[in-house]
Amino acid sequence: MLKKRGFFYELNKNKVMFLMLLPTVIFFLINSYFPMVGIYYAFTSYDFAGGLFGSPFVGLDNFKFLYQSGALWKLTINTIGYNVVFIILGNVLAIAIAILISEIRGKLFKKFSQSIMFLPYFMSFVLLSVLAYNMFNFESGFFNQVLKSLGIAPVDIYNTPWVWPILITVFYIWKNLGYSMIIYLAAIMGISDEYYEAAKIDGANIMQRIWHITVPMLKPTFVILLLFALGSIMKGQFDLFYQLVGNNGLLFDVTDIIDTYVYRSLKVNFDIGMATAAGLYQSLFGFVLIMSVNYIIKKINEDYALF
Amino acid sequence: MVKRRIISVCMIMTLAASMLAGCGGSKEKDAGNTTTDSTQTKDNGTAANTSDSKDNKPGGIDTSEKVELQFYMLGDAPKDLPIIQEEINKLATADLNATVKFNFTTWTDWEQKYKLLLSSGQPIDLIFTADWTQYQSYAKKGAFLPLDDLLPKAAPKLNEFVPKDMWEGVKVDKKIYTVPATWKEYVNEGIAYREDLRKKYNLPKPESIETLEQYLDGIRKNEPNMLPLADNQGYQTDAILQLTTKIINSSGNIPYGQIMMYDTPRDITSYWGSPKHLEDLKMYKRWADKGYWPKNVLNVKDSAHDVFASGKAAAVLGGENPNRFNDSVIKIKSTHPDWELGYFPYPNAKGFASPVHPIHNGFAIPRSSKHPERALAFYEKLVTDKKYNWLTQYGIEGKNFEVEDGKYYKMIGDSQSSGFPREGMQSWAWRNPEFMLFDKSFDSVLAMFKEFDKVARPEIFQGFPEDWTPYQAEKAAVLQVEKQYLYPLNVGLVSDVEGGLKLFMEKAKQAGLDKIQAEYKKQWLKYMDDIGK
Repeated sequence: MLKKRGFFYELNKNKVMFLMLLPTVIFFLINSYFPMVGIYYAFTSYDFAGGLFGSPFVGLDNFKFLYQSGALWKLTINTIGYNVVFIILGNVLAIAIAILISEIRGKLFKKFSQSIMFLPYFMSFVLLSVLAYNMFNFESGFFNQVLKSLGIAPVDIYNTPWVWPILITVFYIWKNLGYSMIIYLAAIMGISDEYYEAAKIDGANIMQRIWHITVPMLKPTFVILLLFALGSIMKGQFDLFYQLVGNNGLLFDVTDIIDTYVYRSLKVNFDIGMATAAGLYQSLFGFVLIMSVNYIIKKINEDYALF
Repeated sequence: MVKRRIISVCMIMTLAASMLAGCGGSKEKDAGNTTTDSTQTKDNGTAANTSDSKDNKPGGIDTSEKVELQFYMLGDAPKDLPIIQEEINKLATADLNATVKFNFTTWTDWEQKYKLLLSSGQPIDLIFTADWTQYQSYAKKGAFLPLDDLLPKAAPKLNEFVPKDMWEGVKVDKKIYTVPATWKEYVNEGIAYREDLRKKYNLPKPESIETLEQYLDGIRKNEPNMLPLADNQGYQTDAILQLTTKIINSSGNIPYGQIMMYDTPRDITSYWGSPKHLEDLKMYKRWADKGYWPKNVLNVKDSAHDVFASGKAAAVLGGENPNRFNDSVIKIKSTHPDWELGYFPYPNAKGFASPVHPIHNGFAIPRSSKHPERALAFYEKLVTDKKYNWLTQYGIEGKNFEVEDGKYYKMIGDSQSSGFPREGMQSWAWRNPEFMLFDKSFDSVLAMFKEFDKVARPEIFQGFPEDWTPYQAEKAAVLQVEKQYLYPLNVGLVSDVEGGLKLFMEKAKQAGLDKIQAEYKKQWLKYMDDIGK
């Protein structure tokens, strides 16, 4: 009772503030919360006449296709594994490069290297797959041509599963490094010069300045990006995997992620129920993960937590 | 300083947010596997009930209210579509007090778009159906309106025009849901090969496995830079069954690795795991070792048809039906006049040919239609009225085409410059044999059809309305196993074929293959009873 009066009191006091908040709230209600009703599709066998609530309820049947062939475990491991590598390697490299770039004094060179690193971000994965094929195919690929001209026997890359986790990671980093680097670069630009000047006067060298000022100051940015990334850890980079691996079943054991699996399953016979079930599984997993990681971070340092 | 910090923090947040937004955006379009799909289907139920129209005079429909019909076709729209649409609308306004909007999905992701069109509840009055758009499955799930009662009332002429057995053929659960095309067409496939090279190196005509292999070997030996076979992703497997057995269907495969022969349709057995399957896979291994296709063929994305038509390969086994082969001939005549193409249709090996089943091309009225009667009346015009028909099939006479020698179609300009090429609207479904015009070059196809007519036996496979609801999960799981374990075998990438096949069968059984095959067999035998075989 007391709390409720408190809320109305608050509402009355900050009328204008709440009014300004309203559009955002409506936006999220319409785009994120109302559609959640659709989760119910995951438990129905859809038919056109019945619609959402008229379709027969089938319980957990729609989730069956995920574990029927015993693939769910492998898929979950693959999806999370790739994402963990992407997150850690991607962020560490991005921070390192951002620091390097920020320390470069030559303006022209700075801009140049920044742009060069940013460009791959705009390349589509379809082009990337063509590029990869022309680089690695057995008969006429660039890689094997070089091997041949050196007198080494060519390697059938597309038939060698163990190289693919490395290749995919390399391609991912190559494509996304420029973008995440810019985020960190922006954070570095925001660090006050006064710290550096003070450190300089105290005799800190450049490594010490980076290690004791820049890196700690980047921690909040890193934590925010980490939390965002963890929320979608079950959602793989569909384009990347689908384009690079395609229908090559020989590589599925090490490259199949939930997204590609679901795509292949439902491409032929699309079923709203099954598609929703897969999406729900991914989202639920991400939700639980982000809640727990946020909780842990909150325990360690409340300032860094997202909420 | 403080200001600068605020700005930079804002910038970080925006960049981070846009990064996430970017991911989200691409996810939605890529697989159709996110929950967002379901949100668009929400208001379906409400739109469904508006279809029953009120008081109608017997033998006619109420056209007092002016309506706009939404017409949906797959593929790309021709350049001159707005002009055609305007012409059609002039006619339709006078005849039916209606206008029509022709919408096209483009071929990119048409499967996803088609599903969304039908499930989103957006009002659509006419939409294309075919066996390959899963007509029967959609009809079973209630996506289309039954036409039985509407037809005599709204389109009596059309009702008469389409033969009785065709109406019977398209029925799903004893109801008509689509208007079938009436032109008798053959879409069986065949081997397309380079006749000029065959003659040059004195190779046999590829008309059986043995001669095909001799031909491909000869090409490999004499043209080392040319690929013997254009087929990629292992799609040659269906073609080989067409060539070596009297399999019941005329193209594509029978799902879940099953097989039945035309003469004994009730005798359905598993092709997967059979001795013949092992033998075929060993042959593919041999072919792969001989270099008939590139080693990384599973990652090749060019279509086999294009690879062959561009001259990079010497033969293609799958996908070349008479019509399509004729296209290749015309195309190559203009780019490489010195080449000569040969064709061996599989019916010649099988001893019989089957024209397409009535469900192969059709138009249905989705449940979301606001004006089903007017839509059907309009479709009747499209099929039975020569003016409508020619406009939408060939464009405007004198501008897009002209009639040559009183019976041939002649395009004005070429396929690049013409704003409305022949059947530019993918107008397969409303072809009317009485009005049809063919290009002169099509004579060879028609001659082929005439040959097929001599050995024609009715298509009995395509009409089978498979209902996979009882084994939906297993179907998806088996599909995965097939991709992962069978595809590499199909293109000869596994050195131990016997072991590979064993592993595949093991995994497939684990995924529920036996259950699927048993249920499929049950349904198939019931269908056999229904059609009296």
